[in-house]
Amino acid sequence: MNVVFAVKQYISKMIEDSGPGMKILLMDKETTGIVSMVYTQSEILQKEVYLFERIDSQNREIMKHLKAICFLRPTKENVDCLIQELRRPKYSTYFIYFSNVISKSDVKSLAEGDEQEVVAEVQEFYGDYIAVNPHLFSLNILGCCQGRNWDPAQLSRTTQGLTALLLSLKKCPMIRYQLSSEAAKRLAECVKQVITKEYELFEFRRTEVPPLLLILDRCDDAITPLLNQWTYQAMVHELLGINNNRIDLSRVPGISKDLREVVLSAENDEFYANNMYLNFAEIGSNIKNLMEDFQKKKPKEQQKLESIADMKAFVENYPQFKKMSGTVSKHVTVVGELSRLVSERNLLEVSEVEQELACQNDHSSALQNVKRLLQNPKVTEFDAVRLVMLYALHYERHSSNSLPGLMMDLRNKGVSEKYRKLVSAVVDYGGKRVRGSDLFSPKDAVAITKQFLKGLKGVENVYTQHQPFLHETLDHLIKGRLKENQYPYLGPSTLRDRPQDIIVFVIGGATYEEALTVYTLNRTTPGVRVVLGGTTVHNTKSFLEEVLASGLHGRSKESSQITGRSGSRR
Amino acid sequence: MASLDDPGEVREGFLCPLCLKDLQSFYQLQSHYEEEHSGEDRDVKGHIKSLVQKAKKAKNRLLKREGDDRAESGTQGYESFNYGGVDPYMWEPQELGAVRSHLSDFKKHRAARIDHYVVEVNKLIIRLEKLTAFDRTNAESAKIRAIEKSVVPWVSDQDVPFCPDCGSKFSIRNRRHHCRLCGSIMCKKCMELISLSLANKLTSASKDSLSTHTSPSQSPNSVRGSRRGSISSVSSVSSVLDEKDDDRIRCCTHCKDTLLKREQQIDEKEHTPDIVKLYEKLQLCMEKVDQKAPEYIRMATSLNAGETTYSLEHANDLRVEVQKVYELIDTLSKKILTLGLNRDPPPHPHTLRLQRMVRYSATLFVQEKLLGLMSLPTKDQFEELKTKRKQELEKKRLQERKAALESQRRLEEKQSGLAPRAANGEVASLRRGPPSLQKAEGWLPLSGGQGHSEDSDPLLQQIHNITSFISQAQAAGRTDEMRTLQENLRQLQDEYDQQQTEKAIELSRRQAEEEALQREQLQMLQEREWEREKEQFQAVSLHTRTQSLDFQEVRPFQLDPGREPHTLLTHTLHRGVPPAQSRAAPKTPSPSSAGEPMRAWCGPPALSQEFLPPSSAPQPTEVPAPNPFEEEDLSSPTEEGAGSPPAAEASVRLSAQIPREYNPFEEEEEEDEETVVGNPFVTPDGSAPNPFDEEDESPSQRPSSPPGLGNPFEEPACTNPFEVDNDNDSGPEGEGPIEEELLLQQIDNIKAYIFDAKQCGRLDEVQVLTENLRELRRTLAKQQGDLD
Repeated sequence: MNVVFAVKQYISKMIEDSGPGMKILLMDKETTGIVSMVYTQSEILQKEVYLFERIDSQNREIMKHLKAICFLRPTKENVDCLIQELRRPKYSTYFIYFSNVISKSDVKSLAEGDEQEVVAEVQEFYGDYIAVNPHLFSLNILGCCQGRNWDPAQLSRTTQGLTALLLSLKKCPMIRYQLSSEAAKRLAECVKQVITKEYELFEFRRTEVPPLLLILDRCDDAITPLLNQWTYQAMVHELLGINNNRIDLSRVPGISKDLREVVLSAENDEFYANNMYLNFAEIGSNIKNLMEDFQKKKPKEQQKLESIADMKAFVENYPQFKKMSGTVSKHVTVVGELSRLVSERNLLEVSEVEQELACQNDHSSALQNVKRLLQNPKVTEFDAVRLVMLYALHYERHSSNSLPGLMMDLRNKGVSEKYRKLVSAVVDYGGKRVRGSDLFSPKDAVAITKQFLKGLKGVENVYTQHQPFLHETLDHLIKGRLKENQYPYLGPSTLRDRPQDIIVFVIGGATYEEALTVYTLNRTTPGVRVVLGGTTVHNTKSFLEEVLASGLHGRSKESSQITGRSGSRR
Repeated sequence: MASLDDPGEVREGFLCPLCLKDLQSFYQLQSHYEEEHSGEDRDVKGHIKSLVQKAKKAKNRLLKREGDDRAESGTQGYESFNYGGVDPYMWEPQELGAVRSHLSDFKKHRAARIDHYVVEVNKLIIRLEKLTAFDRTNAESAKIRAIEKSVVPWVSDQDVPFCPDCGSKFSIRNRRHHCRLCGSIMCKKCMELISLSLANKLTSASKDSLSTHTSPSQSPNSVRGSRRGSISSVSSVSSVLDEKDDDRIRCCTHCKDTLLKREQQIDEKEHTPDIVKLYEKLQLCMEKVDQKAPEYIRMATSLNAGETTYSLEHANDLRVEVQKVYELIDTLSKKILTLGLNRDPPPHPHTLRLQRMVRYSATLFVQEKLLGLMSLPTKDQFEELKTKRKQELEKKRLQERKAALESQRRLEEKQSGLAPRAANGEVASLRRGPPSLQKAEGWLPLSGGQGHSEDSDPLLQQIHNITSFISQAQAAGRTDEMRTLQENLRQLQDEYDQQQTEKAIELSRRQAEEEALQREQLQMLQEREWEREKEQFQAVSLHTRTQSLDFQEVRPFQLDPGREPHTLLTHTLHRGVPPAQSRAAPKTPSPSSAGEPMRAWCGPPALSQEFLPPSSAPQPTEVPAPNPFEEEDLSSPTEEGAGSPPAAEASVRLSAQIPREYNPFEEEEEEDEETVVGNPFVTPDGSAPNPFDEEDESPSQRPSSPPGLGNPFEEPACTNPFEVDNDNDSGPEGEGPIEEELLLQQIDNIKAYIFDAKQCGRLDEVQVLTENLRELRRTLAKQQGDLD
């Protein structure tokens, strides 16, 4: 079920199969991202892969002493490029791997292009998704829906990605989907269709309890992607943005040249692996330790290189030392920047009110706090808008809803029209009308008791009290209590036992907060493995872009309340 | 809590978070809180304005606690095992995902296409062969034409009024030309020419492949021979009607294209670029390193331990060899890097990148492997090591004999000891329990030490337990119980000895030697045990300080894991001062305070002083404190359940009072690991005071933000007493001169303790210390004598 490992295994196999000798890896835009998530350059260098090229890059030199490993998505453009390449081969041998199912006719036209018999291998390796963490994958699709329905191109890409994931994990699942979302149903059907069509591929060893694929829609929980985050990974994504494990730090004031872009990968950064799910306070102290460790080593090494033993120790540890120095400066920079942003944008205060809006039901206090923060000049327009969005989502139907007043406040604050329009767009996207389940008030006795107990204990951490709605859904699913009238099975068969291997896919994008939730669930629930995926992994900014792309913006708040029912929702 | 008590929807009641009293409304709760609990927590009162803030307060408290035990918070990532679930990182690796091969399909389609193509090429080449098989320069044009026409039937002129390639009309001026290879017609513009040299190249290169394709009778050689004869017979006639193409053959563009492609293929087959040659050499070298390096490391380890399995010269040769290979790798990769740099035009950027990458990976390879090569002892050192080892072997033999005597004596004792044991019900039952019976009733093994005793061997566990019982009994002053316990311990040791002996027989000679060494240790330890028993009645607490030189002798064998159990005993019974501390003793002899005895053992003087609170009273009693590695454990990320530092301090303090509490075994293990791994970067994940605060200005200067979770830098930087220095312990073991250094350091240390003890007036301590000092000096002298 480890998705990183699954992709990595595919890549290793490709390299292994091509035998010894210098190699070049030919990829397309997407597979470049897929490979870079699981392999570092130095790691892949050790396997004699020295060059990385895009298949569509012109100007490639003829190097007949290289073997070419082609890892490509089976798109029309790629196949055409490849046929051209084979007609005039630039490398001695070609090992061709497609990341998904390729049609027979494409294979034929490729074969006919290979006049010089340079192709040694043609295979399908289903690494067709971005493996972010062992339990988290993404398809890097921003804006998957038009209105409430799929953008057809994205639907097919998502289907491919999801089926590739199933194949790479060797799972042939039962499918459940969120009834309130048309998109979820469509996707479920498409996946089912592929499974039926490629039944030979999906013939795996039967497990006692079949795996389960649960397809959800982001619009059921628009709150989670709007919150500020305080665990390391999520926070870095929220404030700096993670793109295929890369973080752009070029806007950080006074950044040194080699830190303009840093890579945070749990695969080869031990510190990050150990700290990505810890909260900011803990990171702070851990980074102190890291620094201290580093400093303790450094001066001493220089100071005490008198005896042979000292020198030996130094030399022996030199590579690690170098590696460590890289890690230290990277994390210190990142955490320093986070820290700067937190204070500059007054995020502690903002986040506290956000959490109140998300988790509590005290309208007057919430309104008061939002109003107060809107007056604060330190609060950026982005944060101001998200506060109002959270308010609008939570108190959409509240009797004394004073959203118009808040919108006025936004205008007075000088928030741009683009952002103000987004408020109603978000309500359109994930408002009560759309949601299939109740996001804010728990309904069943267990949840109420749980909240009650939580009340007794006091909130552990005001900044992280919010639990994504996904938690409740998964909790019910694991306990076999997820209602079939809200999340029906596709097809006649249902699961009698509690599910063991679960794949959750969120149309419209998952978040790192949800990834953490799934991580914790995995760690705390024996016998259950959950993998989370999404069309992308959102932070607030990308989520708002998603909302914008869905084309639901532009309507005024009133019309969304009164006439908004005309949406394509069932 | 806040969300529940919110007046919005849930109205279960307003419970006071501290006393759980049910109050009727929010305001009542608030006033109740202010009245009842204001004394308890002033901060709470200040913040009670809103329940949200109350929640924050709870978090603050949480944070404060976190600040105290950062060690714990730092290890959260590892606690996952306790919950029952599995960290996704730990999911068992799955098999390779599904794959599907299209190769057979592909080959089928390709074969159809390729067959056609290959036949075409071969046909052309055979014709070319025929056309060039005779002496063109001397032949008449008419003859040539006749032969050419015989090779391939020419398309008749009438059939082709226009050039099929460019479409121009043929006329008197625009004459038809025939392709000599396929017989087709084209105009002069579209005509191509093949030079004889190219033709020769193509035909000669294809001979091999063609001979396999064509039947023997058609093989080019036979064709050539027969043709030549026939040509010579007609060579006398000559007439020149057409322009003469003595050395060239006319053909159409299509045929020429095909042939050129063919030529390219031939070129590629024959030509290996320089980079490939160099690269192949490079790979060979790397393979060699992969073979030789492990062999060398094995040798070096053995030699450094003073063994004579391998000869020093041989190892040196090997070392030189390996180093030479590394140099070769370096030069080869450098050559690759600079290939063609001076050429004009400069190589393609991709070529350069390839060269750079090859060089880079070679550098990585060398960095990784070369730096792992350990050095060999010099000749003198090796001699020294050898003699030392010999001595130890002798001692071991001696000890074996003694052990035999001892066991006999013990047998007698056992019989006589039956009665008293029966009387002492509780202890006896415990003592007689199977070895696996753990730290049960009776004396409770204290958590501080026992927490680590996860030995694989139940015997060892039992030994641990008993030693801990002994120390407790000692503290309680129950001498008779203690005696029985000690006897029990001896039995266990006996048993263990037996186990070891059995193993020793099975193991190779080398292992047997080490084994014997261990026994020697044991012997010494037993002698000491007797001494100790005498002392115990006088000064129980002082036993902590009984320093032994065992440690010094023990150290050279640190690498041998099989020895651990014995050192364990050694350590339990003789709390040796760990000798490896290289701090400059005079500077920091006193500052170890009661609560933080470890300080004395921390790192270099500069650092440890930095971490010392100036107020801590000098308490030299605590100086030879328990296990200096213990707090490393506490703070190490793998340690679970490590209490907060105060708790740890407490336990340490406790164990200082009740000696033998801590678990020396742990220490050994730690050290071994470090030595083997050689990694001083083992992160002592404890919460140490951090210079970060002072040095990294930007994140720490954030006075505006509340002290909530968000800001790590405002958290009270708690000073960490448990500064652990790995470096000093990891390197030098097993090397004569360094050991001497350590001895000297140790002597310095002891001197310092004596000074302290004198100042505080603890005379008995002074006495013990002086004894230690004397012993150390004696060893030093002996060592120096050995050297000379």
